[in-house]
Amino acid sequence: MLPGYHGCYLRIDVSDGRAEKVPLSETLLRQYVGGSGLGTRLLLDNGGATVDALSPDAPVIFAFSPLVGTPLTTSAKFAVVSRSPLTDRINDSLAGSGFALAGKGCGCDAIVLVGRADRLSLLVVDEGQVHLRSAAQWRGVSSAETEDEVRRMLGAEYRIASIGPAGERLVRYATISHDRRHAGRGGSGAVLGSKNIKAIAVRGRRHCEWAHPGELVALSRDLSQRSFGPATAKYRELGTAANLLTLNRFGALPTRNFQSGTFDRAERLSPEQLGVRYPRVRSGCTACTIGCEHLYEVDNKDVRLEYESLFALGSLCGVGAGGAVLRASQRCDEVGIDTISAGGTIAFAMECVQRGLIEADWLNFGSGDAVLKAIDLIGRREGIGDLLAEGSRRAAMAIGRGSIAFAPQVKGLEIPGYEPRALQTMALGFAVGSRGADHNRSGAYEVDLSDKVDRRRATLDSVRYAIETEDRAALMDSLILCKFLRGVFSEFYDEAADMLRLVTGWDVTADELHETARRIVAAKREVNVRAGWTPAEDTLPERFFNAPLPNDAAAALTREHLQELIAEYHRQRGWTPS
Amino acid sequence: MHVEFLGIPRQRARVSEVEIEARTLGQAFRVLSDQFPELRELISERGLHASVAANLNGDLFVTDPNTPLTAGDRVILLSSDAGG
Repeated sequence: MLPGYHGCYLRIDVSDGRAEKVPLSETLLRQYVGGSGLGTRLLLDNGGATVDALSPDAPVIFAFSPLVGTPLTTSAKFAVVSRSPLTDRINDSLAGSGFALAGKGCGCDAIVLVGRADRLSLLVVDEGQVHLRSAAQWRGVSSAETEDEVRRMLGAEYRIASIGPAGERLVRYATISHDRRHAGRGGSGAVLGSKNIKAIAVRGRRHCEWAHPGELVALSRDLSQRSFGPATAKYRELGTAANLLTLNRFGALPTRNFQSGTFDRAERLSPEQLGVRYPRVRSGCTACTIGCEHLYEVDNKDVRLEYESLFALGSLCGVGAGGAVLRASQRCDEVGIDTISAGGTIAFAMECVQRGLIEADWLNFGSGDAVLKAIDLIGRREGIGDLLAEGSRRAAMAIGRGSIAFAPQVKGLEIPGYEPRALQTMALGFAVGSRGADHNRSGAYEVDLSDKVDRRRATLDSVRYAIETEDRAALMDSLILCKFLRGVFSEFYDEAADMLRLVTGWDVTADELHETARRIVAAKREVNVRAGWTPAEDTLPERFFNAPLPNDAAAALTREHLQELIAEYHRQRGWTPS
Repeated sequence: MHVEFLGIPRQRARVSEVEIEARTLGQAFRVLSDQFPELRELISERGLHASVAANLNGDLFVTDPNTPLTAGDRVILLSSDAGG
């Protein structure tokens, strides 16, 4: 058997529980590695680009990687790949922890689900043996409670990925959750819900060989040591929430649905201030030495808070009360929805109320209670929540009256916490992103916050940096390694080649991995092209072209300039606009 | 001139801002590492650790220790990986 791999994937039709192992060639594995890359390839090969995301025929892929199960820090991760019900384009979301280890332990490199169960079901995959059980008792239950109860019922060796009530009700940005972490973006939870699968429980102990175990252990030890250093200090000591004050200082903190780049109550939401009022402890994924998670105690519950949740449910909705933001984040987790899309869609609705386009006099910027109420309505698809459960793009299409101009989305995916006018390399990254506006597929913000470019005057030179960050993300998401390690590497592609060589025995080089990264980015685009992508989708909402940011006249972007950058991006990628 | 701290530099310095005298960026780094020993892992007269970035007046990011500074300048020191 090929070291690092099982050489097959498990294809399960949840309509009747039939399962078959499908061989994977060494050539394909070397070309797409694992995680997002392998998942994208399997999505294409299983016809997933051309069927509706919520149809029974739509595949959803849980892809592991050759590094899963090795001692390499942060490598216990899995990717969920499908067509997105929110964007109708590719969606690849990642989550960490034991599900990856137990899933790969079932003796496969990926699990592909198709079909639709005739009732709400629990799918059990036990060392490759598959069966379905009723999940009726967990209808409407949060993913965390479901996970706990399934584990109690089946046994402690099982690892469970599940959906919350929002996934059951096909909220288009519902999450799949595992170990209180989430494959969060793009609505993979709705895809699982459309298959009537409440949860997947996996158990397995099959290990893959490593080509050079002694050297791999030594390299892993070295990487772990480096992961304790200054390059990851921000994640350990403050968490990603530290970004809030930094982005606010540079006028890049999206506020009140991108009406401003600064928030006058940002200091109150900083992790330093939150930590004064709410006791904070650290945690981390299985097999991770960084420990980036910062859990704040609110109402006797530990609430995980990341920057993206903090901005989306805080400044974007004009909410400056830390407790309100923490409770909103907790509620999103309980309901099972992506905090960025939830915050973006609620903030959009708040602006619609502000402009008199919809009637919901309680839904006002600055009201933490309104955010909580909106999350509950979205989770139940009740009242205005039914509209907001569709995401900001579909909501804007229904509301009309020009509201699409300020719906904060690209390709239907709500924009993360980086103001495009203040961070213009990121603006390009958002516009061309295969799954829509996304900070995990394009890390161009870090280029903007460096001496490589002028963040408010992107030039054609900025394009190659955007491509570099996109390629690196594609490879990290396929290996899979956490992006919080990126500052630890001095030559990422060389070190990644070493890891892959020691695990698989391949004579892989940095140059080959550059090519692999580009191949994976191109495969994602191929999904989108087959799904109906048009060049007009690679853009930003009209709002960003109409006016500079308040208080920062230099933070201005024109449609023509962005189109120049996009054309140069396509040229450097070797893609034709059509 | 004025120095603002964000992220880990702020965590280490335990203040959000400070007034110092310096004619170049390198001099500012030296003054800061003298005044805040906890910053020495990140800042020296020769430059910054890769995990820290410096910005001048909210506009351009700067790395060259010879970058001239004037009395009214504001240098912002931040964690360079400002994403999440």
